[in-house]
Amino acid sequence: MNTTPLELESVWPHRWAVALVCATFPLIWVGGLVTTYDAGMAVPDWPDTYGYNLFLYPWQTWVYGPFGLFIEHGHRLLGSLSGMLTIAFLISAWWCQRRGLVRWLAVVALAAVICQGALGGMRVIEDKVQLAKIHGCVGPAFFAFAVALAVITSRRWQDADGVQNRAGLGKVERLAIVTTFLAYCQLVLGSQLRHLPAGSAPGDFRVALVFHLAIAAALVVHIFLLAFQVFRTQRDEWSLVRPTTGLVALVLVEVGLGAATWVTKYGWPSWMADYLWAADYVVHEGSRLQAWVTTAHVAMGSMILASSLLVALRSVRFAWRGSRAAGQGSWLMEAAR
Amino acid sequence: MRSGVDRFSVVFQLPSFFRSMLCLVAMNKITHAGLRCWPWLAGLVLVAGCGKAEPPAFHSNVVEMDRQGISPKQEQDIANILGALFGTPDKPFVLTETGLDRKKLEQAAGPVRSDQFGKESGLYRRHCGHCHGTTGDGLGPTALVLNPYPRDYRQGKFKFKSTERPDKPTTADLEMILRHGIPGTAMPSFDLLPDTQIQVLIEYVKYLSMRGETELKLISAMADLSEGTLEISRTALVDEILKPVAESWSTASEKIVAPAEKPSIELALSIEKGRELFYDTKRANCIKCHGLSALGDGQTNDYDDWNKPLHEIELAIASERESLRNDTEMPAADRNERESKTATTAAILKSDSLPVRTITPRNLRLGVYRGGRRPVDLFRRIYAGINGVPMPGVGPTAPGGTGTLSPEEIWSLVDYVRSLPLEAISEPPRQRPTAAQARF
Repeated sequence: MNTTPLELESVWPHRWAVALVCATFPLIWVGGLVTTYDAGMAVPDWPDTYGYNLFLYPWQTWVYGPFGLFIEHGHRLLGSLSGMLTIAFLISAWWCQRRGLVRWLAVVALAAVICQGALGGMRVIEDKVQLAKIHGCVGPAFFAFAVALAVITSRRWQDADGVQNRAGLGKVERLAIVTTFLAYCQLVLGSQLRHLPAGSAPGDFRVALVFHLAIAAALVVHIFLLAFQVFRTQRDEWSLVRPTTGLVALVLVEVGLGAATWVTKYGWPSWMADYLWAADYVVHEGSRLQAWVTTAHVAMGSMILASSLLVALRSVRFAWRGSRAAGQGSWLMEAAR
Repeated sequence: MRSGVDRFSVVFQLPSFFRSMLCLVAMNKITHAGLRCWPWLAGLVLVAGCGKAEPPAFHSNVVEMDRQGISPKQEQDIANILGALFGTPDKPFVLTETGLDRKKLEQAAGPVRSDQFGKESGLYRRHCGHCHGTTGDGLGPTALVLNPYPRDYRQGKFKFKSTERPDKPTTADLEMILRHGIPGTAMPSFDLLPDTQIQVLIEYVKYLSMRGETELKLISAMADLSEGTLEISRTALVDEILKPVAESWSTASEKIVAPAEKPSIELALSIEKGRELFYDTKRANCIKCHGLSALGDGQTNDYDDWNKPLHEIELAIASERESLRNDTEMPAADRNERESKTATTAAILKSDSLPVRTITPRNLRLGVYRGGRRPVDLFRRIYAGINGVPMPGVGPTAPGGTGTLSPEEIWSLVDYVRSLPLEAISEPPRQRPTAAQARF
């Protein structure tokens, strides 16, 4: 047997990966708030904060200062925490893990977190909306990557042979991969909508919006198909059923948040104008409701991406281990042939 | 020969040491490839990051320029004059004759910033630019998906105000719209902003409006000169073009419609009187647009002052294309020239304006009035009409004159309009009172 017995595998890489996930999700939230409140330039220098070392900036000025400064500096501190946790994960992976894949994924994670930090810094120094857009697209990708690290270092990943029913895993695998792809496309389109340069043409926003809605519809359909397939063929496999159930709940919440984001930002659609509640509705710019609904919509998008990646990784793993045990090629192999 | 996927699966079957080594080699290769590609990747980031690095610029009113036959040289002259009179979106400049506060404009203009003490700048771009556009032309990135379209300030026309129909709004009028927003539209309430920031935004709206109006006057002046150019002297530009525009703003507070005192008649009587006026086709004639049911379903094929010129250009293009199709004996050179001109006009219309929309009369049964719901607001809407849209005023057009309706009648109409949400659309004859015993 060329795999390490489970009892000999250290749990520390998994713990650090989970800690990284737990630190990155609030980072996504705060990053979203920075964009919502247009606070990207609330601290004009980088890596310093108003001339201070990032970690030595007076906490009273930070906590009791303007809200823009509070969230932007907080975003940087949270980013640093994620970076440190990535380093801890890297050390634990090289120290305790025998699987080379995990070790090198840890290296990639460190490179990614450094690049993301540098992108954030460049966005400030160069003051470019385009860089903010790229920074906003890499953030959720890193979060999903952190979730992938937590999945790959988990016991369940190594105990994949324990899956009893492998029928239908191929479809689950395919649907989960497509769902993950769609979820990321959706995030990129959302980023286009949020980071519009001031001089953009009127058509730019509409194109991004139409695609955002179209991909949203495709994503919802795929998540329901995935759930149907998981519940039909893998109902006893809780490591698939639970995240898929979560995915369905998340996408329903996300659709609601998307609609609420539009309404709190632009009001009800004009075809509802004959209803009193729509005709009388006034948008309140900068209200907490508007800011938190919009940011929640962004953060839930990242959660959907991470959850769908989790299902995709597990289904690919289970299908691959199953096909290897049965002496057959997996779906991926068949597709490649 | 093994496929790539098979080779991949073989990797996982190797002992962990060899697997690690292979991964190391692979990573090494990837790293080397990455290093080789680094200049390209850096270039990609730079292209993505700096491709649109140019600061936002004011956009010329090319639709109007094309309509009035302004040459490219004249267009450049106009842009230069406007640059000298008003500066750029990042560095606004105004002459004292405008009466505008340059410090406020500087805080409103430029990119979004805030300092350690919470002082924010770039307020227009943060709060308004996405809909109203950098130039205030209502062509911001989100404009196309909004209904109604965001206001184009360049004509200097504002709908909801306390002044006479053709006059500018007062600062208080603009503040009311900014503070309360416009219900049922994407125009938000900025009530959560500090008062100083609201004043800064108002100043910038006036600035953009003055700039737009000055541009329109320059276009008209240039068009009269054919191929020549304007005399660029301070006297010519400031006294003849800028000052009249600025004065129309500074004197707005003198043009406020002061409603006559409301007559003390019984409300039911006043409502009944207002109802008669509402349906009177020879006097108020409200049913023409608001419909017999007051649901806003009367005349719905009219245009406002922002869409009407565009509609006329569309009609002219269609007519020109029709005549080109029908005229088969036209010389080829003339045909080419006319076709090219029509195509240019159509392209300008497509790129520099939004699709034309008809105006929707208000559904008065909802009791939601975009310009304010106070009786005095309704009085002013009826008295002075709404600037830029077909809603006419029924008050006198000049001080001391006689309007279509007297102030008492306008108040009755106000009472009737305010009663509409409570009135059934069809009023069946009321049941005659009967004794309770007779019913059961």
